[in-house]
Amino acid sequence: MNALRLALLLAIGACGDGREPGVVLWHAYTGLERTALEQSAEHWNHAHPATPLVLVAVPYESFADKLTSAIPRGNGPDLFIYPHDRIGDWADAGTIEPLEFWVDDAHADRFSEQALAGMAYRGSLYGLPLAVKSLALYVRTDLVKTPPTTTDELFALAPAMQAKRGFALAYANVDLYGHAAWLHGFGGRVMDDQGTLTIATPEAADAMKFARKLVADGVAPADAGTPLVASLFNEGKAATAMSGPWFVAEIGKDVPWQVVTLPIVSPTGKPAAPFLGVEGILMSARAHDKQTAFAVIDELTSDAAATIRARVARQVVANTHAYDDPQIASDPILRPFRAQLDHTVAMPNFPAMRMVWTPYQTALGEVLSGRADPGTQLLAVEREVNGYLVGAK
Amino acid sequence: MIGRQLRDFAVVAVLALIIATAAFVAVRNNELAARQIALAERAAAALRDHAELPPTVNAVIVSAATPSPRHPFLRKRQVLVGDRWQPLQDKLLYDAAMRFDREGAVSELLGDASGRALVARCTVDTRPCPRIAVALTSPARPAPYPFLVIIGVLGLGTALAAAGALLGPVARRGGLFAGAGALAVPALLWHAPVAATVILLLGAGVALAQQAALTDRIAAAMIKSRVALSFLTPAATAMFVLVAAPFAIGILLGFHDHHHGTWTFVGLSNFSEILSGGGHSLDDPLNFWFILGVTVLWTVANIVLHVTIGVALALALSRKWLVGRGVFRMLLILPWAIPNYITALIWHGMFEGEYGAINSLLRLFGLSDVSWFSSWATAFSADVIANTWLGFPFMMVVALGALETISPSLYEAASVDGANAWQRFRHITLPHLRPALGPAVALGSIWTFNMFNIIYLVSRGKPGNATNILVTDAYRWAFERGERYGMAAAYATIIFLILLVWTVFGTRMVRREEA
Amino acid sequence: MSARRPHLATMIGAYAGIALLVAIVLYPVMLVCKKAFEPGRNFALSASPLPHSLTTAHFHELFTARGGHGELLFLRATLNSVLIAGATTVVGVVLSCTAAYALSQFRFPGRKLGLTAFLVVQMFPATMLLLPLYVILDKLALLNSVAGLVLVYSTTAIPFCVWTLKGYFDTLPRELAEAARMDGASPWLIFRRILLPLARPGIAITALFSFMTAWNEFIMASTFMTDESRYTLPVLIQQSVGQHTADYGLFAAGAVIASVPVMIAFYALQKYLVGGLTAGAVKG
Repeated sequence: MNALRLALLLAIGACGDGREPGVVLWHAYTGLERTALEQSAEHWNHAHPATPLVLVAVPYESFADKLTSAIPRGNGPDLFIYPHDRIGDWADAGTIEPLEFWVDDAHADRFSEQALAGMAYRGSLYGLPLAVKSLALYVRTDLVKTPPTTTDELFALAPAMQAKRGFALAYANVDLYGHAAWLHGFGGRVMDDQGTLTIATPEAADAMKFARKLVADGVAPADAGTPLVASLFNEGKAATAMSGPWFVAEIGKDVPWQVVTLPIVSPTGKPAAPFLGVEGILMSARAHDKQTAFAVIDELTSDAAATIRARVARQVVANTHAYDDPQIASDPILRPFRAQLDHTVAMPNFPAMRMVWTPYQTALGEVLSGRADPGTQLLAVEREVNGYLVGAK
Repeated sequence: MIGRQLRDFAVVAVLALIIATAAFVAVRNNELAARQIALAERAAAALRDHAELPPTVNAVIVSAATPSPRHPFLRKRQVLVGDRWQPLQDKLLYDAAMRFDREGAVSELLGDASGRALVARCTVDTRPCPRIAVALTSPARPAPYPFLVIIGVLGLGTALAAAGALLGPVARRGGLFAGAGALAVPALLWHAPVAATVILLLGAGVALAQQAALTDRIAAAMIKSRVALSFLTPAATAMFVLVAAPFAIGILLGFHDHHHGTWTFVGLSNFSEILSGGGHSLDDPLNFWFILGVTVLWTVANIVLHVTIGVALALALSRKWLVGRGVFRMLLILPWAIPNYITALIWHGMFEGEYGAINSLLRLFGLSDVSWFSSWATAFSADVIANTWLGFPFMMVVALGALETISPSLYEAASVDGANAWQRFRHITLPHLRPALGPAVALGSIWTFNMFNIIYLVSRGKPGNATNILVTDAYRWAFERGERYGMAAAYATIIFLILLVWTVFGTRMVRREEA
Repeated sequence: MSARRPHLATMIGAYAGIALLVAIVLYPVMLVCKKAFEPGRNFALSASPLPHSLTTAHFHELFTARGGHGELLFLRATLNSVLIAGATTVVGVVLSCTAAYALSQFRFPGRKLGLTAFLVVQMFPATMLLLPLYVILDKLALLNSVAGLVLVYSTTAIPFCVWTLKGYFDTLPRELAEAARMDGASPWLIFRRILLPLARPGIAITALFSFMTAWNEFIMASTFMTDESRYTLPVLIQQSVGQHTADYGLFAAGAVIASVPVMIAFYALQKYLVGGLTAGAVKG
């Protein structure tokens, strides 16, 4: 089979490269983020008419699958924008290109440490970061006098909200991404820095028990997804919501709200620490003109482009120079999210991470509905993921 | 005589050419790889031994990486030019040195289809290696297709076949075989004994067929039905290229394992892993047999409901006294008209959470909420309800069509004879429904067995993986469990075999019943 | 059915059953329409099928969304869908009619095999064909092209259409074709002038199914088309579903618009459905 694939590759290569000059970039942005990206692309196209930048919007659902089918056959984009958690997968498969050759210290210094580290895997740098995303606490200022700073205060809010058939806190709890804030707040981790799984630990079990307590005591709804969280928040049935920067677009026009950092987990005294997702530009290993492609990456992560994105799309950009602008630094949305960055745990980009989501979600579903005990569920998750890892080797 | 011989030889020649070409392509690429890599390795060795470098190879010595103090993954390297170290400007060489540090010695053909080979070796014995020899050959194309050889061999083979035809019946077959032998020779020259053997077997097979006059019979039949075949050809070609070929490839993939872009032949191990339950117990949703059970239950429940509701509605809608039949019929086939990925999402939203529409309706009627996706029974029911909503119009329309062919006089005669409603149904309606519903049920059960959208979008396999059916589990192997395309393909093959057996078995049973 | 009026109980039962099912059929549809006309990005928490306030904002946003170069995204996606679905219908009808004609009116070696093959190919799960199809289209240089997608859709629809059409051709009286053959008409003439006009209901169904297959399909369109200017309507609608959030108002508006042509086609041809589907099976 290998020889045949090699034959196909050579045959295609022998046919010559029929592509026009320019750089193709795939992204899954919608709304204001897309507008901001298009503005930066315009900028590049004015300055470099001979090598135009072509943006292609791809539905997020099929993004990764399209990439994985297209790039090995030479049909994919030159660059693409994606969260960092699949970097390990793609790097191992030879789908993306290491970039450290073109990047020097001066260049790298403008990004925040965490953001840049998210783009690194096994000692190489695979992309430059555009923005960081994490969860924070949205608060309805008409329902809550002072934003809660500890989880005990959240529990204190609950009775008043329950009287209105509502909740103190709404968040996507049957999902590791939402649950991670508590997991890390209790000191648990999904895997350590070397990529070894640390799923079935007492801290993780405590975190699950805490999440279950939130549901059992009526503080949070039993099974909520983002649309439900948005509906609850908008209709006044949730005093606070734990969600990311994308939530801003969901909030209704007449709702008074503000964003603050997540509270401290009272049982441990540690701050709730959600996952940190880094969104960056990655380069395909089969890009046609890698030099120009990197120039595009440079342009899109430049100070000017970052400022546009921060202003227009309210992205928490990774380029720290953008925050020299006082308007951006004091933005009511960007400031709390930036403050939250100090209390986040980077989402691991090892290939094993991808296989953790679904089993963990199953376990959360069982525990949060009170049907199962966290310890056994976590052991089952670890066993299941290890089973997949063995097969995937 | 010669004409027929040449016709048979043409068939052998075309097939042999395809096989020989495939062998050639496979072989020449391996040869190219071996050649280029050997060249690169010689260059690397020459660097180490300070010998003269081969001319077409770009071979240099690259220094170890000096990481930046602030960012450990930003490393700079230098290259030895003459006696002095200079900054390294070539990304390919840089990446090769990085790979050497990570994985050890590198020697491979570049994946960009340029035919260049890359070798990285250490020139000294200390680790980490301070001086890495990196050699990159210039692009090369594999050997061009040997048109002349092929033409020559074809000519030789044709001559042999014709000669044999002239000499007599036995010699005719010998001539055919000899002609095939001529075509096999290049395959031998290219070191592809398997291909050569296959071609020889092909020749022998056709020669034997000639002996049995099979080739003549087939040719005569084809000429006789040339009209029919010409009408069939367009659709058959399209199906062959776009359905049969992917289908065959899909089956082949089931015998391989896919890991990070490379495929390795693993024989039946995918199949055995699936069929043995993958080490999970029988009540574990990841066990194939559990999922099979769920799928069978899913199919049976759906078909029973679709047919029952469809037939009941058709009976009601065919009553002449019913007012507004046309309007009702129009409304009732609505689910069929709407794209089903949209309706699947709507149904998911309706069942989800305490504010889903279904739960709100339950509360309206004084019943308590149900957490639909937390238990298997309710999640399965949600799927069945959604799919029945989608599927009953088809059965209804089929039944309506069948009912229209029943002439009213049959019913009148029966009621005159004193038959009651149930007897009229059993002896008049049902026999008319059966021939139409038979194929509909067969098709419907295949579609339901493979119904991906509803399971994937409504219950999404929850709780756990318990409401997965075979197709969705296969999909998850491909896209959620580390891209194990080989496993997914093996799964798909097993699904196909199950359906095949079911259809054959079912058709035989129906035929026995009708006899 | 007898002209006697049945029992009151039977009548009530029939009307009640039908009314219940109509309500069940309509409810989800009304929920989508409600979301399309109700302001807000998410579904409201109430189960009522009627919107509490009306707005055309979602439709407005759908129709006026412009791409990077100022082009109207919705218009372009619709034109792509129309083109592809239309071409699929033509190709599907042509290929199915010819194949069904051969399989129905002629006897030739391999006929049974062909019939079985058309049934069997429907059993292979379509989602698994995606990767091999991708490779094959790539080799044929048909990726990211209208022609490639049209061919793939046509071959998806053909098995069912051939099965239906063959059944339909089987019911047509053979005497007509025999007489024409005696008169010296070529098979092609018989096909065009005699059989096709008689088989109009069957052809209508084939056309409808080919159209629906192409119009509603999302996964293959999304995977094979890498150029945004070639996206079809389902792909465009799916873009409103982002990574973390979705604009369900926009999605619902798109879904409503995308469903309208299919529904129109369906209702225009539905009289052929009843009867056309069962033709081969019920031969009196």
